[in-house]
Amino acid sequence: MNPNSRGRCVLVCVVFIALFSVFSFRLIYLQAIKHDEYAGLAAKKHVYQQIIHAERGSILDANNEVLAHNVPVETVVADATHLNNVDAIIEIVSKELAIPAKQLGEKLNSDRRYIIIKRKVPAATASALREKLHASNLRGIYFEHDATRIYPNGSMLCHVIGFTDFDDRGIQGVEASMEEYLHGQDGYRFVEHNRAGQEIVPYRGQERAPRDGYQVHLTVDLGLQNIVENEIDAAMQQYSPQKATIILMRPRTGEIIAMANRPSFDLNLRSEAKPEQMKNRAIIDVMEPGSTFKIVAAAAALNERKLRPDSSVFCENGLWNFGGAALHDHRSFSYLTVRDILVKSSNIGAAKLALTVGDQKFYEYIRRFGFGERTGIELPGEINGLLRPPQAWSKISITRIPMGHEIGVTPLQMTAAMATIANGGKLVMPRIVKSITTPEGKTISSLSPVVLRQVISPETAKEIGEALRGVVSDSGTAAAAAVPGFVIAGKTGTAQKVDPHGGYEHGKYVVSFAGYLPADHPEFVGLVVLDDAHTSKPELNYGGLVAGPIFSRVAERAARYLDLEPHEEIRKAIPVQRVEKSMPAERGRKPAPVERIALTNASQN
Amino acid sequence: MNRSRRRNCNAVNAASLARWIVMTAFVAVAGLSYVYLTLQLYHLGERRKAVENELVRLRTQNDIASGQIAALTSRSALQRRQKEGYLTMIPISEANIVRLTIPARAAEEDAIQPVANPSTTR
Repeated sequence: MNPNSRGRCVLVCVVFIALFSVFSFRLIYLQAIKHDEYAGLAAKKHVYQQIIHAERGSILDANNEVLAHNVPVETVVADATHLNNVDAIIEIVSKELAIPAKQLGEKLNSDRRYIIIKRKVPAATASALREKLHASNLRGIYFEHDATRIYPNGSMLCHVIGFTDFDDRGIQGVEASMEEYLHGQDGYRFVEHNRAGQEIVPYRGQERAPRDGYQVHLTVDLGLQNIVENEIDAAMQQYSPQKATIILMRPRTGEIIAMANRPSFDLNLRSEAKPEQMKNRAIIDVMEPGSTFKIVAAAAALNERKLRPDSSVFCENGLWNFGGAALHDHRSFSYLTVRDILVKSSNIGAAKLALTVGDQKFYEYIRRFGFGERTGIELPGEINGLLRPPQAWSKISITRIPMGHEIGVTPLQMTAAMATIANGGKLVMPRIVKSITTPEGKTISSLSPVVLRQVISPETAKEIGEALRGVVSDSGTAAAAAVPGFVIAGKTGTAQKVDPHGGYEHGKYVVSFAGYLPADHPEFVGLVVLDDAHTSKPELNYGGLVAGPIFSRVAERAARYLDLEPHEEIRKAIPVQRVEKSMPAERGRKPAPVERIALTNASQN
Repeated sequence: MNRSRRRNCNAVNAASLARWIVMTAFVAVAGLSYVYLTLQLYHLGERRKAVENELVRLRTQNDIASGQIAALTSRSALQRRQKEGYLTMIPISEANIVRLTIPARAAEEDAIQPVANPSTTR
């Protein structure tokens, strides 16, 4: 080979080596250095993360009756890169989903790849659409599994259950407060599609199964709730109040077994509800409690041993000038025992009870009863109520607060305070959630009763309880609240409505009755509140005459439902033979309803 | 056949040929197996997807049925139906009662007998 030929060969070799070196470097650059970036881009083109939605947990009552659960629906979406015949798709989809064709066209022709066409499409509609698209060989429309919340009982317990928003996030009631438990954890799956938009199953990537939400069991018993709802509806019909609330609570455990408010709304038609209907007035409405608050003044005076239950207090014959302002009683009383101050509901007597303990001590007792702070119930939006410190009190506040004026409490706070008397002086935190379980029934959390503090001694609680029995007697203010066959304890309240512009509204009252049953071993505490009830005569608008009978009906039905034993003395008073004839064997120890009607607190006190 | 022609013939190496045939067959079988298994993979993927879809469909049906049961058996619904008069106790008419024929019994069967099996041994 001559030198020229050899030189040319070397040159060609060098050129080839250089060329392939460039190719090699480029290959290494693409395959090794830029691998992740280009693999990501390729994956982005073909692979996408499919969300597997977790199912929201159900809400159940104490007996596992369903209060809220899910019904499957579908979300119709489009992948713009897979659409093969946009016009035909628009025609079919707009017709099936009842969407204007123009609106759908704008959506599908947008720049986005993932387009949500319609949410919450019923499964049957989605199925029909799927079949039509398949028959027409149209591609690019997909169906994502989703669920919508339904409430089988409609408006029953609506304020407690609450509801969810568009994205299935709880925004009111237990739905909101238990959101972290009810809302499960969505799963995902990386999937790859072919050109036809069908998933290539062997190429499935990383996958995580969803975790469904937990089930929340409430303390509410739907049987009792039904009783309360029926009675509150009857009261609304009879008295047409602006607002009404009834609460039933177990004093020993703090379990709320029924809670109803009016106005209410249908949870399945929540979009039509007005804000006023959605308020859970048991925890967010402030009211002046009226005479029901006298139990606090009496408890303070007795617990501090300033007075005894039979100590006499001069009640100024119905008119007392204190601090430059007159304080009236509804009737003229001269001397009343502490017990009779509660039985007769003397404002002057209650004021004098508070004066015996003084501003600071009385304020301490109000706080110890739980007023001025949230009860801690598992419901969102609870308020503290309105309670000013003694430094902000006027000279006459010490005479007005004992009769339930100049103070704002929530109905639930008032119920908890009455439960304290029923519970031997222990303040128990009200609870609405009983337990949290997995969908398979395994218990995640079971909530125990929480005793917040011993507010008053058991002896004082017993003394107050005995006085409260007298309230529901012929000589008391709430004879109409008596429950046939049972001895009950309770206190009426009639407070003039506060005018938002200052002062009080003439002729408008908030009437209430708080009581418990049976008086010896209370099974439940109840509160009935009616705001601005309309009676045939204005002088009939009293707690004992309006709220008392409602309480009586609720308590009687609740006692039957709970199968409570009638009071021992009443039971003994009933001729055994007559009972045995009218009752089945297992219920033979209980008096017949007809016989029970005549035997109430009235005969006991 | 003359001698010179016989000398030019090469003998076939049977062992080598067999080796090549086996190797080729192995490669062919391996290739076909690969194709077959790949197709099986896709086929099983399709079946898996179909089963998953069927499961989802059944679960959806179950959930819808559960929802309907909850709605129809809810306290509110039952009360509404009771008010409408759909929930009442209706006595079964005689014509709708199907009675089983009572078999004829021997007279001694009605006699009082001790509560024990008769002894099988003597």
